[in-house]
Amino acid sequence: MTTFDFFVQHGCVPEDARQEIESALASVCSDILGPGATPVSASWTVIGKGFGFRGGKPSTTSLVRGRIPDGCGSETRARFLRTVAEEWCRITGAAQDEVIVSARDWSWAG
Amino acid sequence: MPFYRCLIPEDSLTYDQRERIAVAFTDVHCGLSGAPRSFVQVAFLETDGSREVADAYGQGTMKFSTPYFIAGGNRAGRSPDMKSRILEGLLGRFAEIAGISGEMVSGRISEAPASWTMEEGKILPDPGQESEWFAQHARSG
Repeated sequence: MTTFDFFVQHGCVPEDARQEIESALASVCSDILGPGATPVSASWTVIGKGFGFRGGKPSTTSLVRGRIPDGCGSETRARFLRTVAEEWCRITGAAQDEVIVSARDWSWAG
Repeated sequence: MPFYRCLIPEDSLTYDQRERIAVAFTDVHCGLSGAPRSFVQVAFLETDGSREVADAYGQGTMKFSTPYFIAGGNRAGRSPDMKSRILEGLLGRFAEIAGISGEMVSGRISEAPASWTMEEGKILPDPGQESEWFAQHARSG
């Protein structure tokens, strides 16, 4: 199983793009991480206008925080992160520096 | 990578306060850790009275009993003393700028390995390796 928590700045990701993003990332999970990475679920948090900052300045950066099955090697994880970022930018039109993607192990306690 | 979510009551902070807190958090985090300012993300999320938030860097939820809460997420690899100083610094500046007593705000910082995050198409460096990381990526374009 894989979960994604999306933190997006107000107005940066249209609501009608969400389904396409979720579908695209589900395919990425299956293709790169294998059948153990499905099903995929997602939650969205919209950061209000004037409520998100990067380096102390208003932000347009989205955060994609994934939680994936344990046992992913570093090369596979890097390919996964890169592909998720590419899909995000393709669908939303965001620049590469406007998305931060992470994928932690399912059992990671933090 | 540092991502500080500030859980706040509805309509409790003005834009000016939020901006000042975001700058202060960037100052605290970067001043103590040496991390680049562009790494620091701060988001303010107004709560509906709920006193728990999902741990975006670990698992489960963070529960809290104060009206204001800072849910932090950082790269792993810093000493416990450094982590404690960062959190204390954040809480102190938050209370000062929000105009509240220190007892009204609490926080917790979770951590995950730097290699589990990609920013601008690059895997993040471990804490303390930022200069080499920037130099390496400047060379490679």
